[in-house]
Amino acid sequence: MLLSINWLKEFVPFTGTIQELDDALTMLGLEVEEVIRPFEGIKEMVVGYVVECEKHPEAEKLSVCKVDVGEEEPLNIVCGAPNVRKGLTVAVVKVGSVMPDGTKIKKTKLRGIPSMGMICSERELGFSEEHDGIMELEEGLVPGANLVESLKLDDEVLDISITPNRADSLSVLGIAREVALAFDLPLTVPEYNLVESGDDCSEEVTIEIADADKCYCYHGRILEGAAIGQSPAWMRYRLVAVGLRPISNIVDVTNYIMMGFGQPLHAFDLDRLEGGKIVVDTAAEGEKFVTLDEQERTLKADDLMIKDGSRSVALAGVMGGANSEIHDGSTRIFLESAVFQPASVRRTARRLGLSSDASFRFERGVDQLQCPEAMDRAAAMLADLTGATVRKGVCKAEPKPWVAPELTFRPQRCRDLLGVAIEDSFCKATLEKLGCVVTGTDSETWTVVPPSNRLDYEREVDFIEEVARVYGMDRIEPVLPQVKRTLEARNDDCNEYEFWSLIKTWGCGLGLNEAINYSFVGHTDLDLFNLPKDNRITIMNPLSSEQDAMRTELAPGLLQNLRHNLGHGNTGLRLFELAHIFEADETSDTTVRESGRLNILFYGDRFDSAYPRMASEAEYADMKGCVEHLLAHLHVGEPSFTLADEHAWMSPAVDVVVGDQKIGTIGRINPEIADAYNAKKDVWFADLDTDVLRKLYVSACVKFASLPVHQSAWNDITVIAPITLNVQAIFDQVAATKLPLLEKMELIDVFVPEAAEDAEQTRNLTFRLTFRHSSKTLKDKDVDKERKKVVYSLENALPVRI
Amino acid sequence: MSLIHELESLVQELNSGLDQAFSLTAVEDLRVAFLGRKGKLAQIMQRLPELSPEERPEVGKTANIVKNKLTGLLDECKTKLESAAEADKLAKFDPSMPGRMPWQGSLHPVTKVMTEICDIFKGLGYDIVTGPEVENDFYNFEALNLPPEHPARDMQDTLYVTDNILLRTHTSPMQARTMLKQEPPLAIIAPGKVYRRDSDLTHTPMFHQIEGLLVGEKVSLAELRGTLTAFLQEVFGPETKVRFRPSFFPFTEPSVEVDISCCMCGGDGVVDCQPCRVCKQTGWVEILGCGMVDPEVFKKVGYDPEKYTGFAFGLGVERVAMLKYGIGDLRMFFENDVRFLNQFI
Repeated sequence: MLLSINWLKEFVPFTGTIQELDDALTMLGLEVEEVIRPFEGIKEMVVGYVVECEKHPEAEKLSVCKVDVGEEEPLNIVCGAPNVRKGLTVAVVKVGSVMPDGTKIKKTKLRGIPSMGMICSERELGFSEEHDGIMELEEGLVPGANLVESLKLDDEVLDISITPNRADSLSVLGIAREVALAFDLPLTVPEYNLVESGDDCSEEVTIEIADADKCYCYHGRILEGAAIGQSPAWMRYRLVAVGLRPISNIVDVTNYIMMGFGQPLHAFDLDRLEGGKIVVDTAAEGEKFVTLDEQERTLKADDLMIKDGSRSVALAGVMGGANSEIHDGSTRIFLESAVFQPASVRRTARRLGLSSDASFRFERGVDQLQCPEAMDRAAAMLADLTGATVRKGVCKAEPKPWVAPELTFRPQRCRDLLGVAIEDSFCKATLEKLGCVVTGTDSETWTVVPPSNRLDYEREVDFIEEVARVYGMDRIEPVLPQVKRTLEARNDDCNEYEFWSLIKTWGCGLGLNEAINYSFVGHTDLDLFNLPKDNRITIMNPLSSEQDAMRTELAPGLLQNLRHNLGHGNTGLRLFELAHIFEADETSDTTVRESGRLNILFYGDRFDSAYPRMASEAEYADMKGCVEHLLAHLHVGEPSFTLADEHAWMSPAVDVVVGDQKIGTIGRINPEIADAYNAKKDVWFADLDTDVLRKLYVSACVKFASLPVHQSAWNDITVIAPITLNVQAIFDQVAATKLPLLEKMELIDVFVPEAAEDAEQTRNLTFRLTFRHSSKTLKDKDVDKERKKVVYSLENALPVRI
Repeated sequence: MSLIHELESLVQELNSGLDQAFSLTAVEDLRVAFLGRKGKLAQIMQRLPELSPEERPEVGKTANIVKNKLTGLLDECKTKLESAAEADKLAKFDPSMPGRMPWQGSLHPVTKVMTEICDIFKGLGYDIVTGPEVENDFYNFEALNLPPEHPARDMQDTLYVTDNILLRTHTSPMQARTMLKQEPPLAIIAPGKVYRRDSDLTHTPMFHQIEGLLVGEKVSLAELRGTLTAFLQEVFGPETKVRFRPSFFPFTEPSVEVDISCCMCGGDGVVDCQPCRVCKQTGWVEILGCGMVDPEVFKKVGYDPEKYTGFAFGLGVERVAMLKYGIGDLRMFFENDVRFLNQFI
């Protein structure tokens, strides 16, 4: 809401500074976003008086003027406007001043004659689009005086953010009430004088309201003999200052009253209304209607329309129709002032994407008691500005008259809720200042009847808020409460937030960078990963096609991060992300199953630093070790890693299983997918299910095992195995022999000898076997015996040599 | 040559040997050669039976003296070499060689701020709860006193999955979800991702919020102010001033917008003689919205609004992070550029 300070001062005798006003309104909940100076661009312009005007000797279309700008000598200005003439009062930009578009006016010569400035058109001043000639100012202005001051332009405008509950403040009057309250000033609402003439016309247009729920009241006045034209300069300046476009005197008056008093009005050309009546009724389903912006709209049976005897003439409360709009030849006006149901207006305006100043106010609610008065003010002003006569009487229907609710207020409840000892007298005075009628103040429960402009007063708590607002929210002293909780509600389970925090701390501590990506990606991203389509959640109204699906995997986001970082010269990346993935699930109350995922990405350089680290690149072992580290950290048990049969976007893909629970997959992003993200090296990835992990973590328990008393003994064996044999097969085979003394088996070296041409490629795997007896120290011969069992078992079961 | 003389000449002999010994190994070799089991001293002493019983004590005594002298010489030389080696090692030591630094990880600034805030409230006795990001209209709007066609729905541009299913526009659905499950008194914090159909310099379509809710008997606005003052001063420093001004949210009444004194200029509106760009010279920055739970919200979840009152607040995590760390561009949060991430180690 744009509020002109000059306009405000017509409603309340405020004399303070703009800063004081800004502070007071903001602290009353009418947040001032910005102080706008709409005429800042023309602040250097002055009033000029054309003393002489002659044709340019060299150019037919140019005039050479002497313009008095209050200096000793009049300025010589060459002007090309057809309407420039002696005796005009004009707006002048002098040499050295700047135009609103930033152009600096310089001394110049036009066809040999020097020009010392410029006379401006309305467009150059920003008052209208008019550019056919220079603007002719009213007579009597002092030459040389500042233009903005001379024209009394609204040079200071506040942009105030009005919250949806404060419909009452969507007008100069509404804000003036708040200013009066804040500074304890009287309201000085401008007077008006409506003169009616002729016969009573209240039956000339009958008003029928078919849907009383959607139209609470409808008033109309008939004006005759209007001369349409431009509205006076002061009104146009003012409308421009508060962001409205001047159109014609008739339309401008309806807008002026709406901005001043908050009641949207509409002027019909009475000669274009058929059948002498107004019917307020819903549209026919599928009906086509051309609004006055010349757009054809398709209506629904729910849309409330203003109709005449035969057709729709306006979208009620939203916009008038082209078929009944005021035009250059209009003389008879039917002026509408009505109140429509907020929800109905909002539905129509939203569906048609057509938010007007009128619909904005109707959606929030207008003051029904003021509705006829606003119409009368507009009628009086129209009579004044268009020469129209206002016919006697009002055409009206009011199926749902305003009934003030009777509400209650308990000062003690107010004190309890605010935590401040506010006196009864303050509460009473505040509510009365806000226009409420307060009775029964000698009892604990008061009766409060709100004014018709405050539709937001519906409950006791609304009054409590008002008391707090006027008392000053910022005066409330802080008190730190005791937090009480019940034993039953206590919950010690590790919830998702806590579990994720644990993993995040682990990841950061291990040396990974935490990433956070949008939860939505494009369907095309998911397609690239060969992900199924049937379980996806599509966003109905995405911002772009890159964000039209909820992600069913985190991988696309992390790969995008990889591309971004590679693009910025990064050569090694270790990212992790914890987030939800989203899949369709009919059994969920939100139709979506959200599951927790931890994804890790390794790429390129293994280390951030060079020397003394050897340059090397991340490989499978790094990712596997990282995952093993996490699982050990969480105490979830020994994982097994087995090659997955098939995976949509990783190859190789290795399933990670603990017990009989699959917790995820690790592997390498398919090269063709990686390539799409500009990754030329292997991208190692882990995709783990944090829901499964959390369950395992919650049920895991850490138990202390006594430290061994006797020393262990170790023995190394080197197994020569075909290169295709998984190391795990050897571990498994040894485990299968179930040697009670074997405490630990570790792979300590791998050597791949050069194979003879026709021989099978082998590798030498050296394992360290650690043996321990719980009650004695093992001797060499005991160890040898155990070793032989291992050798025997391996050689018998696997194609290996020792 | 008498044995005594031979013994005594060992000292001279070792001395000249040690003169040539430049390493600890050489010294050790000399020790073995002179004092070892089969060393020179031992060899001389093997000849002791050649002597008459009267001569033996004298030789024995000399042998002892010589042995001590030899040991002394060897030790002295060894110490000398050891300290020379130590001095050499120290001389070669270069403290400016790069360290073998382990990987450096980082938490996302959103996580850092979220954790800090959640920890503060945990300390005050709040439970942390989480919930779905794709929500029903009921929990996101209806239960929060935002019926369809309420103009306040304009305050949040919503991303929809269907007409009735949407991406939650705030963490407030957790208020309704918690209250439907649990009876008062309760105190919860709900951190999480939220979504709005909005994208520019100061808006991203996804961001993070933390919702707080405390319900009990006679909970007051003064207590809300106390809670938020404690929390904001812990996050932004004890000098932080907290300003309450009226606002509007459909799910709270009274509703309050909270400002803190600008952490860039300290509330002066001026930094280095320049207008402060963070608070635009007002000295205040908006930090969160809050209020007393609207009685309608209590009715929706079956609480008696006469018996219980409560407060709720919600704040944007990125906003706090931007103010706290001086981050100017919101979009950087979701690019995951490691040059950005590594600043939040």
